[in-house]
Amino acid sequence: MEFKLEAHRIVSISLGKIYNSRVQRGGIKLHKNLLVSLVLRSARQVYLSDPCPGLYLAGPAGIPVQQQQQSGDLAAVPPAGWGEPPPLSARAAWPETEPQPQTERPAVSDPVVPVSGTGDALQAGEAEAAWGRVERPRVALAGGGEGLDVFPEGPRAARRPCGCPPAAAAAGEEHRPPLPPAGCPRKRGAARVGGGGHAGCPAPGSTPLKKPRRNSSEEQPQPDGVEETGEEEMETGNVANLISIFGSSFSGLLRKSPGGGREEKEAEENNPEATEPGQICCDKPVLRDMNPWNTAIVAF
Amino acid sequence: MGEDTDTRKINHSFLRDHSYVTEADIISTVEFNHTGELLATGDKGGRVVIFQREPESKNAPHIQGEYDVYSTFQSHEPEFDYLKSLEIEEKINKIKWLPQQNAAHSLLSTNDKTIKLWKITERDKRPEGYNLKDEEGKLKDLSTVTSLQVPVLKPMDLMVEVSPRRIFANGHTYHINSISVNSDCETYMSADDLRINLWHLAITDRSFNIVDIKPANMEDLTEVITASEFHPHHCNLFVYSSSKGSLRLCDMRAAALCDKHSKLFEEPEDPSNRSFFSEIISSVSDVKFSHSGRYMLTRDYLTVKVWDLNMEARPIETYQVHDYLRSKLCSLYESDCIFDKFECSWNGSDSVIMTGAYNNFFRMFDRNTKRDVTLEASRESSKPRAVLKPRRVCVGGKRRRDDISVDSLDFTKKILHTAWHPAENIIAIAATNNLYIFQDKVNSDMH
Repeated sequence: MEFKLEAHRIVSISLGKIYNSRVQRGGIKLHKNLLVSLVLRSARQVYLSDPCPGLYLAGPAGIPVQQQQQSGDLAAVPPAGWGEPPPLSARAAWPETEPQPQTERPAVSDPVVPVSGTGDALQAGEAEAAWGRVERPRVALAGGGEGLDVFPEGPRAARRPCGCPPAAAAAGEEHRPPLPPAGCPRKRGAARVGGGGHAGCPAPGSTPLKKPRRNSSEEQPQPDGVEETGEEEMETGNVANLISIFGSSFSGLLRKSPGGGREEKEAEENNPEATEPGQICCDKPVLRDMNPWNTAIVAF
Repeated sequence: MGEDTDTRKINHSFLRDHSYVTEADIISTVEFNHTGELLATGDKGGRVVIFQREPESKNAPHIQGEYDVYSTFQSHEPEFDYLKSLEIEEKINKIKWLPQQNAAHSLLSTNDKTIKLWKITERDKRPEGYNLKDEEGKLKDLSTVTSLQVPVLKPMDLMVEVSPRRIFANGHTYHINSISVNSDCETYMSADDLRINLWHLAITDRSFNIVDIKPANMEDLTEVITASEFHPHHCNLFVYSSSKGSLRLCDMRAAALCDKHSKLFEEPEDPSNRSFFSEIISSVSDVKFSHSGRYMLTRDYLTVKVWDLNMEARPIETYQVHDYLRSKLCSLYESDCIFDKFECSWNGSDSVIMTGAYNNFFRMFDRNTKRDVTLEASRESSKPRAVLKPRRVCVGGKRRRDDISVDSLDFTKKILHTAWHPAENIIAIAATNNLYIFQDKVNSDMH
């Protein structure tokens, strides 16, 4: 449990850093953000792998945690990040090239700009989605099949810790944690984050902070645990999108993002009242519903 | 080391005794020139201050070799990249001196995006006795000119003139972290997070990319370049360090694009030390070739390591700089201190290495005797010609009187930039906005 809390704390701090780096003078520093994302990933792994029944939330969908946990289709559940994964229409969001079982990566945060796990060129919107994917815990599929269309909020917390030994996960060992019996959420076949490998359980995340995202039309990119492509890519897992953002330009998503970013920024400028610190306005309904924590990430 | 040392602290003229420090005054780089006569510092405000060592005077032998301000100029200004909507900081990231080839001195200074070649010249004579102009430069009334005179050069107060001779711009997409002048004195390289470019000192509109680690898909990015340096003698060799803690030695004769290294220096990670922050603390913040060219010195967050060019598997020496911080990595992460990039230096004979730490401490390690010392650069503890007292950080257990406990270390006082005179035991320590220059008294007595 302590590990989980510690990991969660580190995750929050890391997200804060990334968010703040947006407004830093001189532009986003690639090196620092790369390191922060590595920490983020490690913390997430630990968080997901810590077999602590921990914090459970009852989702709005009313699906009891247990159910979620036992959902056999957790394989389809995207590896959880932390916090509450926004509801996803994973399937739709996910690039079609991805094999079914791998649709654990559900959604893209922004339906307009699908986040592709596989390395589609990331644009700002994708970046946002990527962030969402990285950060957002994914909701375990209640009982759904491979393609997750909707992720009920509740179960997030319910995500069962998978059987992955936390230490191993934390140590980043290259191993494939055995598929958890009923609980382990999405384990993506090839997806291993940070070489550590475990799909990890969807993280209940920052319970108090997170308001589950109920927008079912929304897709959230999966937290990164699951990498789209191979072992190698796992290394950069959730960072990937982040890096893409940086890679494309240091002005970040806001500029490049077709739609998402720019609108976001404009919305931000135009609707200051709707913006709280950490919360980004976006004219996309999806984003609006996000809880502040997630939104911050997405915005970034 | 750590025996008798003279101390002399030099303040920039614009410093005051307040605890509040103007950010622009924070020193961001320190570099001696090849003879040690000049010392250049760059700061966050884009200024460069050059100090010159006063020639030793027989009349006042105790003041021999002090450094005084020689020249101050604004090297870089803040810029705005309109295309990317990014402000480009004017902070001077690195200064490197060119070998002196005539009466003028030249140095390269760089911020995140642009490298500039500055020429520093002295003027100590001026012509007097013009026929058409009077002393103030006004045209004379020709009717008053009755004879011709030959203008003569008369001595004047020394004036140091600095002019930008070359501006190497638009070579880098990412932030430049290091520059290094080649031993051929014709080329130099500049490295950013993902690429290294080779420039000719006389050509500003073109540069060659010699290393490119940018992946085709940025999502695959796992490491960035953190520092790079040319070999001091072999103009074809250079090394660059990565955020993963590895060093790559490249030979420019092998290929035009040196993505493929000739040698990879990497130490396997100790699994027992693994933590959330293992990757961060293994990132190399500085790499320096020894003067001999046989060894390399690297600095990561907690250690300095000496590598032999002939052995890639592991460093030949590892020194703990402040291992007591290992248990505090989380709070250092929170405060961003874990991202501090400390530099390291060799002394002239490659027998002692030096690096900075927190609380205005800096550390020296004698490679031969294996002794090390911690010294402090502060106004309180150093009066001119006072002897620096070794400090100690206690980590629990018995605490001696003057020890500092780990918890009372001031992490806002960090010594990131240090430089060692190329031949003598004179060191320059940058502590936030103050520059300290320490001399080894023993050494100076020998003159």
